[in-house]
Amino acid sequence: MMRSFSIAAVAAVIFSVGLAAHGQAYRAPRSADGHADLNGIWEALNTANWDLQDHSPAPGTMWETGAIGAEPAGQGVVEGGVIPYLPAALEKKNQNFADRRTKDPEAKCYMPGIPRANYMPYPFQIVQSPNGILFVYEYASANRFVNMGKPQEAGSDTWMGTNNGHWEGDTLVIDVTGLNGLAWFDRAGDFASDQLHVVERFTRTDRDHLQYEATIEDPKTFSRPWKISMPLYRRVEKNAQLLEFKCVEFAEELLYGQYKKK
Amino acid sequence: MRSPFSFALAAILAALFAAASSGVAQSSYTPPKTPWGDPDLQGIWPGNMGVPLQRPKNMGERAVLTDEEYARRVAQAKQASAADAVEFAPADQKIGIGPPSYWTERGTPTRQASLIIDPPDGRLPPMTPEGKAVQAKTPAQWAGKANSYEDVNLYYRCITRGVTGSIIPVVYNNGNQILQAPGYVVIRNEMIHESRVIPLDGRPHVGPAIRMYMGDSRGHWEGNTLVVETTNFTGKTSIGSNGVAYNGEGGRNSESMRLIERLTRVDANTINYEATVDDPKTWTRPWTMLIPLKRDDKYQFLEYACHEGNYALKDILAGARAQEAEASK
Repeated sequence: MMRSFSIAAVAAVIFSVGLAAHGQAYRAPRSADGHADLNGIWEALNTANWDLQDHSPAPGTMWETGAIGAEPAGQGVVEGGVIPYLPAALEKKNQNFADRRTKDPEAKCYMPGIPRANYMPYPFQIVQSPNGILFVYEYASANRFVNMGKPQEAGSDTWMGTNNGHWEGDTLVIDVTGLNGLAWFDRAGDFASDQLHVVERFTRTDRDHLQYEATIEDPKTFSRPWKISMPLYRRVEKNAQLLEFKCVEFAEELLYGQYKKK
Repeated sequence: MRSPFSFALAAILAALFAAASSGVAQSSYTPPKTPWGDPDLQGIWPGNMGVPLQRPKNMGERAVLTDEEYARRVAQAKQASAADAVEFAPADQKIGIGPPSYWTERGTPTRQASLIIDPPDGRLPPMTPEGKAVQAKTPAQWAGKANSYEDVNLYYRCITRGVTGSIIPVVYNNGNQILQAPGYVVIRNEMIHESRVIPLDGRPHVGPAIRMYMGDSRGHWEGNTLVVETTNFTGKTSIGSNGVAYNGEGGRNSESMRLIERLTRVDANTINYEATVDDPKTWTRPWTMLIPLKRDDKYQFLEYACHEGNYALKDILAGARAQEAEASK
């Protein structure tokens, strides 16, 4: 009797360890209002900002920067592998790629838009307050406030969109509309129009990871909705904090150099 | 011998004097708490225009306007709002008119004689010789030189207005939003788009080689007051409206400035924002300004895509080149 009990106990322990190892048993810490707590400083660790799709290593746009400016290889984050462009939009993407040194909004230090803000090579902080959720991005001091109350209709189009959030279980779902279509998705010239509608899902899968998904819909640019997904990593350094990357002054020569007094 | 009455009168007078001299009415208001027990400062708190940084000299140490002076200030504010509504500049106007009235949000001015409450005369203390030298070499107010974008101030370049320049009320986009999470307070400013995420965990400042326009902020609570200490500045920002210091209303601070901000919710709808500028390289003594911020739940915080839409900077430079070409003909 005693013996079978201890076997059962051991089996239970093994079973629960197994579950935890698969992430099934993880329960995110709670915020004061009982939702999953997503507070923290997060950052992508991939090459999506170079190109959302599979890509080989490639030289940069300026030979002067040598290997420093070169593009690392990377596996794509697009579900199914390929962005379903309409034919005219694919032509525009290819033109964007050819012009990327001067036309990529990142080169000009413009706001990154959604979804790009979340996988640029800079950290961002989620501040989950009882009044709403603020995303603060280090890149270009960009930010966006996610309204968690009654959904609001988008006013004028903006770079960072009108953000209405809600919870589906422990997943934060953000519906982003009112995007101006001027931001790109990556340095490869991937883009959308002002008809862009993004639905994002953030799920804390363990202490140090958020799973990020975005469904992208734009009938003017794509033949069907498509999806990207990737993990975001918590910056675990004890002294982790956002610093300042006000890049306007790094882009001024590019933007205004031709108007300077010679 | 003193009568109890005169004693009480003296006490009341002393209390009134203390309140007037600090510029802050002492408040017995207890703010609500966040679920984790911090005083709750959350909300949208724009400031109202109409109070000059410095007090007119003839007012001396009088910190509050008389009824008559206040009536004049309110009338001036109304006049300014009416001028905003003028759609076209008069034909003889040399250059520029204000923004259209649907942009402006002047609000109702307060009775404060000046934003500066210390020194007691409400005026900037004298600059040090070093401060004066920096000011003369790189005036904070743009004087029209346009050989390069670097000749134009940080505000017109859409880089930043600095910490105090982001709070001092101006003619539009005065939104300040405060959000809190356990261990953090965020002060978000609408214009330019800034968000200072302020840790409250007592960690040390970042190392001295890291400089930031908005500085490195650390906060703690003293009773119900949020005290924020900010260092690691660049020395490129200025103190004044929009961080520009128009007409000598402020000046360029040094990289070693220590800024102490104190935010106290004195009633349900008011946060008293006090900022003490401690910059011995630039000013001969610390000085303090007080800006009451008024809660406005209906305020619409807009995206201020300043740099993205900065046609003015290109036009300033291109215009200067066109004038040069014209002159050399």
